[in-house]
Amino acid sequence: MLGDVRLILLFIFAACLLPPVTSVADDGLDQIRLRGTVVWGADQEGGGPFIYPDPDDPTRLLGFEVELAQLIAEHLGVTAVFSQGQWDKLPDLLDRGDIDLVLNGYEWTSNRGERYGLSIPYYIYELQLLGRATDESLTSWDDLLKPVDGRKRKVSSLGGSAAQDYVEQFGGDSIDMALFEGATDAMDATALGLSGIDANVQDLPIWRFYAKGFPQLRPIGAPVGRGFYVAMTRKADQDLLRAVNDILLKALQDGRLHRIFAKYGMWNDTQRMRGLETDESGGFIGSPAPAADGDDQDAATVSYEPSGGWTVIQQRGGLLVKSAGMTILLSITAMPIAVFIGLLIALARLYGPWYLGKPAAVYVEVVRGTPLVLQLYLIYFLTPKLLDIIFPGMELTINAFAAAVMGLAINYSAYEAEIYRGGILSIPRGQMEAAISLGMSRSLALRRIIIPQATRLVLPPMTNDFIALFKDTAVCSVITVVELSKQYYIQARSAGAIVELGLLTALLYLAMSYPLSVMTNRLEKKLNQERRG
Amino acid sequence: MIVLTNLVKRYQQHEVLRGVSLTVADGEVCVLLGPSGGGKSTLLRTINGLESFDSGSIRVNDIVLNAAVGPERDAALLLIRKRVGMVFQQFNLFPHRSVLENVTEAPIHVLKQSREAAVLNARRILARVGMADKEHARPGSLSGGQQQRVAIARTLAMNPEAILFDEPTSALDPRTTADVISVMTDLAASGQRMIVVTHAMSFARTVAHQVHILHAGRIAESGPPEQIFEDPQQAITREFLSEAARA
Repeated sequence: MLGDVRLILLFIFAACLLPPVTSVADDGLDQIRLRGTVVWGADQEGGGPFIYPDPDDPTRLLGFEVELAQLIAEHLGVTAVFSQGQWDKLPDLLDRGDIDLVLNGYEWTSNRGERYGLSIPYYIYELQLLGRATDESLTSWDDLLKPVDGRKRKVSSLGGSAAQDYVEQFGGDSIDMALFEGATDAMDATALGLSGIDANVQDLPIWRFYAKGFPQLRPIGAPVGRGFYVAMTRKADQDLLRAVNDILLKALQDGRLHRIFAKYGMWNDTQRMRGLETDESGGFIGSPAPAADGDDQDAATVSYEPSGGWTVIQQRGGLLVKSAGMTILLSITAMPIAVFIGLLIALARLYGPWYLGKPAAVYVEVVRGTPLVLQLYLIYFLTPKLLDIIFPGMELTINAFAAAVMGLAINYSAYEAEIYRGGILSIPRGQMEAAISLGMSRSLALRRIIIPQATRLVLPPMTNDFIALFKDTAVCSVITVVELSKQYYIQARSAGAIVELGLLTALLYLAMSYPLSVMTNRLEKKLNQERRG
Repeated sequence: MIVLTNLVKRYQQHEVLRGVSLTVADGEVCVLLGPSGGGKSTLLRTINGLESFDSGSIRVNDIVLNAAVGPERDAALLLIRKRVGMVFQQFNLFPHRSVLENVTEAPIHVLKQSREAAVLNARRILARVGMADKEHARPGSLSGGQQQRVAIARTLAMNPEAILFDEPTSALDPRTTADVISVMTDLAASGQRMIVVTHAMSFARTVAHQVHILHAGRIAESGPPEQIFEDPQQAITREFLSEAARA
């Protein structure tokens, strides 16, 4: 009876297993040279001075890591290709084989060293404690340990960063922490004193870069917690790692590294602690020449320039509109698939034999009961591993867009299945009886009589879900898809135009969902008229 | 020829049909009468498989339907349903299709007739039931009597050997009931075999060839209408008829 439905289910299952795939070769140094590109991963959202959109042309990227990547690529005789990824997921992208190299302020830790190839440090960072300029009660690290007004001090930092570790070790239970996803968000919240935050601990280069934009903050005490920014490769790519080490050493000795960091105001005496610098004749430089103004800082030629108003909209609005295109593309691809899978799941639950109905019910519960972001993550990072088990040696993988569409479609299919099931159940039993007593098979009756009627009933709630899906596409940034929300975070944080670009982003979302709302209303009216005759 | 042999159906412990046997010859109109809950509708619905049964058998010409479920029964049911139509108390027209589409749906998709042939035939049948001018209407805009006449047309389009009527006028007011009864009478006169569950006594009296009184899952009395109405043999029949006359 449901033979054709079963066939379609099988087809869907097969289609899910074999999404649009691309084959990645093992990215050893030979492969990189063969390809002519070295793919490096970082998160633009982290902002300056690491990697951030050029304020004059936001489609271009600036930052010392962009220049480092070029340095490395030149040394390898290939082109540097940037690949956007969420900061904390960059190691996963290495594992997946999407990128060859992570260059994004990753600190050396022994844990990381066990799992990944870590280069010699390209930068020695320190941490800077920041307080509000007006806050007289905070003048040293030790002040953090003293409660004010009977409550513990609250310190902000980037979540998962060395700053967080340092503050936790320093303060233990005597200090509260407020963790943020963006370094500038943490500084903003501290400047404004949001949720009782007293201070911020920041990587020194970040503070140097953004200091101009945060006149309400002042550095407190000397920099602390020295550590190493390192480049990261897969453990197996030892040739690549050695090549990266070679060029870093060379660039350190011939002053190229110095010039890059000086440009972003990041060069300081701490960098010389490696004791590797030589002069033109190859002689070791033990003591730096004293800087003219007594400061160990070289003057930065590039730094944070907060912008706002109409200018920032003109400069960066185009990028947001372009990213809205990705949001639309994701939604209109995922939703029809979700509805189709949903219908099949609903039919399996209502009319299928137990061996289809039971798994369908479990599917709905599992998919509805787990977060979309987890599903996307699993699909994107687990599928290549599964494919490798099923088709060993073929090196199949799933690209980010396909994984995003699949994740959204699977997640929404569970909801659409329930909507369809409700719709089908609300069709009077007499409709099926009339159809089969006319000699129709059950599947013919479903196709011609039941599903068309149910579809009319479920269109309005499904359009609502479609609008929700538009907004849920924002989650896809965890698997490197840059859509409207991610682009907003990247642009707003680097431009410091949270309000202007935020309004534009909201407007763009509204422009996408409002026509759908209007359509739903019209549809409902039309269907009601039809029902009345 | 439709032959029911010793049909038994249970709902859990309750026996709804307790061994019903009856024969409907070609061209015959058979009316099932009896008090509510006597099993009339259930009996009718077992004939085209809308209800299963526990023992006995149903034969429609050369197709035999047994109690045992399985692919054999499914195949037999599909054949029976193509040849035996059904008209419901609640019409059950397809609300998302026009009157004409309701009538052509099964001929096109079940009998695989060409659209043109199906439409031509549907128009002829709609004219016969007096609904020719409503072919583009949606069922929702029709009165109950009009809907039931479309439902009869929908069944007729399958060119059925027999039509099962399950209380076709019980949901209608007296005026539209008369329209439907007149269509049914017309059909009977043309030799259409039918089995009718109804409370319309005049139809039973004037149109039926055989009347069966069903009570508590058994046939209490059978015979031509003159005998059942003028000279009932069973106390149950007499009681039912006098109650029906009072109502």
